[in-house]
Amino acid sequence: MTDIKDTNVHFHQELEELERKVLSMVDRAEQMVDMAVEAVTTDDVDLAAEVIERDNGIDQTYLEVHQDWTALMARNQPMGSDLRRMTSLIQLNVTFERMGDQCVNIAKIAQFNAGLPRVERICEQIREMRDLVRPMIRTAIEAYVRADLDEARLLPAMDHPVDRLNANMYKETVAVRDNPKLLEWATKMLMVSRALERVGDQAVDFAEQTAYLITGEWVEFDEEGLARVLNDSDD
Amino acid sequence: MTNETSTEETVTSPAGDVPVPRIERAASSPAVNSVPNVIETRGMSVFYGDFLAVADVSLDFAKNQISALIGPSGCGKSTVLRSLNRMNDLVPTARTVGEVHYHGENIYAEGIDPVRVRRTIGMVFQKPNPFPKSIHDNIAWGAKVNGFKGNKTDMEGLVEEALRAAALWDEVKDKLADSGYSLSGGQQQRLCIARAIATKPDVILMDEPCSSLDPIATLRIEELMLELKENYSIIIVTHNMQQAARVSDKTAFFNVKLDDTGMRTGRLVEYSPTDQLFTSPREKDTEDYITGRFG
Repeated sequence: MTDIKDTNVHFHQELEELERKVLSMVDRAEQMVDMAVEAVTTDDVDLAAEVIERDNGIDQTYLEVHQDWTALMARNQPMGSDLRRMTSLIQLNVTFERMGDQCVNIAKIAQFNAGLPRVERICEQIREMRDLVRPMIRTAIEAYVRADLDEARLLPAMDHPVDRLNANMYKETVAVRDNPKLLEWATKMLMVSRALERVGDQAVDFAEQTAYLITGEWVEFDEEGLARVLNDSDD
Repeated sequence: MTNETSTEETVTSPAGDVPVPRIERAASSPAVNSVPNVIETRGMSVFYGDFLAVADVSLDFAKNQISALIGPSGCGKSTVLRSLNRMNDLVPTARTVGEVHYHGENIYAEGIDPVRVRRTIGMVFQKPNPFPKSIHDNIAWGAKVNGFKGNKTDMEGLVEEALRAAALWDEVKDKLADSGYSLSGGQQQRLCIARAIATKPDVILMDEPCSSLDPIATLRIEELMLELKENYSIIIVTHNMQQAARVSDKTAFFNVKLDDTGMRTGRLVEYSPTDQLFTSPREKDTEDYITGRFG
């Protein structure tokens, strides 16, 4: 055979452009997580408002990507790794949009909780969760960009401490049950904890999508990051 | 099931050409192998004179399934198809070696009547080729030539049955005496399918049956194929990958290989369930072809 040449150049260029557009949301998602946690742990209602405003930008990009993706799909009907890359991109687009929504949920709680009495220990725990979740987003995206299966498989282990802290938050909330004002604040912080835990889960889900992109197998990571094949196309 | 990755088997990375690990697959379901085969080729090669057009093809075609043969021009897919019912015998220089078993019987064995082979393994061609006769006679004449023994009523029944099976009856029932040429291209192709069906074949070979049809007529033929596979086994050659993806159960990808002397010979690269071949092909050549990276 002669040298391989790409006879589908325009499609691949458009696919790369679309990919760049989706990946442009990474930094914004990370910053929104930072800002939302800062707002809710410092009673900064202005910062909370900025998070809500920034989510409009994420939503706008999400819609543009969705439209571009649909057009690209209709015009090119990709197959093989191109098809898997397209399905991963639309999943990543949804992932960022949902991460933005979780940040908005946290920001709204920041606005609600402002002025209420607080427990610094709970705020510390929320910041700790942020410090764990943020690298999960980065690792999941880098695994995708580098098509690195080993890196994708790191995600479940990174998610464990987040889950543990989220579970512990119930105990912290119950501990303030005798103080109605504190309980009201802590119950909302339980929802913040849950939102951060969901962001972590979304990063794990995307890492599984990345494993599909790389291997062609639908997998669900187990606790050690090993893959369980969900269905086998030979069936 | 928990699996470590294996680095033995590789596919192409999204970046293009970096081998990446595959997660080990579960063993194939036994149910896959329980579908009986209608045609099996074993080490089949086809020559045109001294030219080796396609080499060493071993394929199993399952009963009541649609099997697609795809690949670039010159890869030998049509040659393979025409060898499955000895249509290549009509090409003076063509020579087929190896074996082609139809329900276990080698159709190239001595004493096998190629006409009988073509009756049970019918064929529909790229360009609709109705006879210069009426719509009715296109069906009736083919059936008579192939030994139909019934009376006039039986023949009318056969014509209607074949036209219904080809999803053409409602469109032509009031003009059966009109020429077959009066029909549109898509209708002519369905007439040819009806003509093939009227000889009561077991297998229908289709050689790019939609290549001269518009998208709507193409969709009608594809719908028809999906209906026909309940009663027939279909093997289709198509240059339209989306068509293979839409209609077939299994797909064989052929490619052209250059030997040391510069001879271009078709080879079977991969034969997989269609869903797998078009989403996660096993072979890099297949991946390159279906994503448009092709030398």
